[in-house]
Amino acid sequence: MTIEDIDIQYFVTALKNSSGYDFSEYSEKSLKRRLAKVLMDNKMELNQLVTEIKKNVSFAEKVVKEITVNTTELFRDPFIWQMLRYKVLPTLQDNKIINIWHAGCSTGQEVYSMMILLNELGMLEKARIFGTDINSDVLDIARKGIYKYRFNIGYLDNFDKVIKENPYNYEKFNDIPYSKYFEIDKVKDFMRMHPFLTEKPTYKKHDLVRDENIFFNKFDIILCRNVIIYFNYNLQNRVFNLFSNSLYQGGFLLLGMHETILGPMSASFDKKENIYIKK
Amino acid sequence: MIGGSAGSFQVVASILGSLPKNYELPIFLCLHRLKHVRTGFVEVLSLKSAIPVIEPYDKEPIKPGRAYLAPANYHMYIELGNKFALSTEAPLNHSRPSIDLSFVTAAQVYRNKLVGIILSGANKDGAYGLKKVAEYGGTTIVQDPNTCEVRTMTEAALQMGNVNHIFSIDKIASFVANLKAI
Ligand SMILES: C[S@@+](CC[C@H](N)C(=O)[O-])C[C@H]1O[C@@H](n2cnc3c(N)ncnc32)[C@H](O)[C@@H]1O
Repeated sequence: MTIEDIDIQYFVTALKNSSGYDFSEYSEKSLKRRLAKVLMDNKMELNQLVTEIKKNVSFAEKVVKEITVNTTELFRDPFIWQMLRYKVLPTLQDNKIINIWHAGCSTGQEVYSMMILLNELGMLEKARIFGTDINSDVLDIARKGIYKYRFNIGYLDNFDKVIKENPYNYEKFNDIPYSKYFEIDKVKDFMRMHPFLTEKPTYKKHDLVRDENIFFNKFDIILCRNVIIYFNYNLQNRVFNLFSNSLYQGGFLLLGMHETILGPMSASFDKKENIYIKK
Repeated sequence: MIGGSAGSFQVVASILGSLPKNYELPIFLCLHRLKHVRTGFVEVLSLKSAIPVIEPYDKEPIKPGRAYLAPANYHMYIELGNKFALSTEAPLNHSRPSIDLSFVTAAQVYRNKLVGIILSGANKDGAYGLKKVAEYGGTTIVQDPNTCEVRTMTEAALQMGNVNHIFSIDKIASFVANLKAI
């Protein structure tokens, strides 16, 4: 079955009734494409899948995990991290506490990127870091902080750009070894984040569709990158509203490179380059 | 919608360069880029193009008279309601953006109003998508393999069948320039 002829409605309704997860406001084309992939991977017809979802909640949970897209990178879009390093984080130097929420953090590379930056700026101690995702499996990987070296080798370039080079002053070069933050074993094909990083964040399962701010605090920075591209316009607006209510005034919202606030919620933020600032 | 890879940049530039300023249609470009030329692509194309060249944001409404370039490292889908949707799903056939995925989603939305064009390229991405364009009643064009820097992509598209025209670069450019909104 291909993405053209899938009956998405039938699937979405069954999933919602059996497990409570609501994908009705996800972007249709990409959801169809993922559903086609889930059917192929499970060697099932849509009818079979739906029957199984209806009688087995844990199967429904498994489908949710398979249908969401979990791709991520260390320091994805180095340019954004350079802005964070040189423009955003310095403005929080004098805060006693810095609260940071990674919404849709997947396997945690984004969280580790942030902690590495904070550490370079001497701000890690006072940061409180929260990572959430709808998929509890990716959160388990984030907690462990162990990744396949093979899959992440390309992203070490990103590390070099953000941590070693200074885009505002090419003569400054910090030769910071990877071993300051993670161990690399090429033979066994893994990289492992150091304990001072893995122990720091609080990870919690959280569904942006249904859940409010589950933490008892507001945030200085919220990162929600490459998550809302999977949501339709209405759901995006609701999520932006949640973020707006969860940020301190002057707090920062970072979206992905090609994500933007198009609707009414844009009035609640100022935009500087790629970063939204809560009014 | 135009798909291309190695050797397609000059072709795209000459197509965009020969458009009238008041062009009535949107043009979608799904081009594979080399890792190290991720930035600056839009700027260079803009210099040669008669209409604005844009890398769209997610859910950006599609407007006529613009050329939209699939952003590096994202798949670009066309949604109902005349909007883009982006995705970071893993590369398909080693490609992100995937020409197949862009073509299939555009075919479903625009059906017989879609013109699909495959240009020079070094892999087979786009062949399946072009076939879908034909199945939905759209017009399909393939650059003449003899005029391609790399012919793999056009040959794969031709093998899928259902191709309406095999055109030289100039022919493609004038065909696209003369298209009108219906
Ligand atoms: C493509 S990853 C982005 C990871 C990271 N933020 C980055 O930019 O590299 C998208 C993540 O969003 C999560 N996600 C999808 N729907 C969600 C929802 N309703 N609530 C919370 N997380 C969700 C997925 O499980 C996935 O891990």
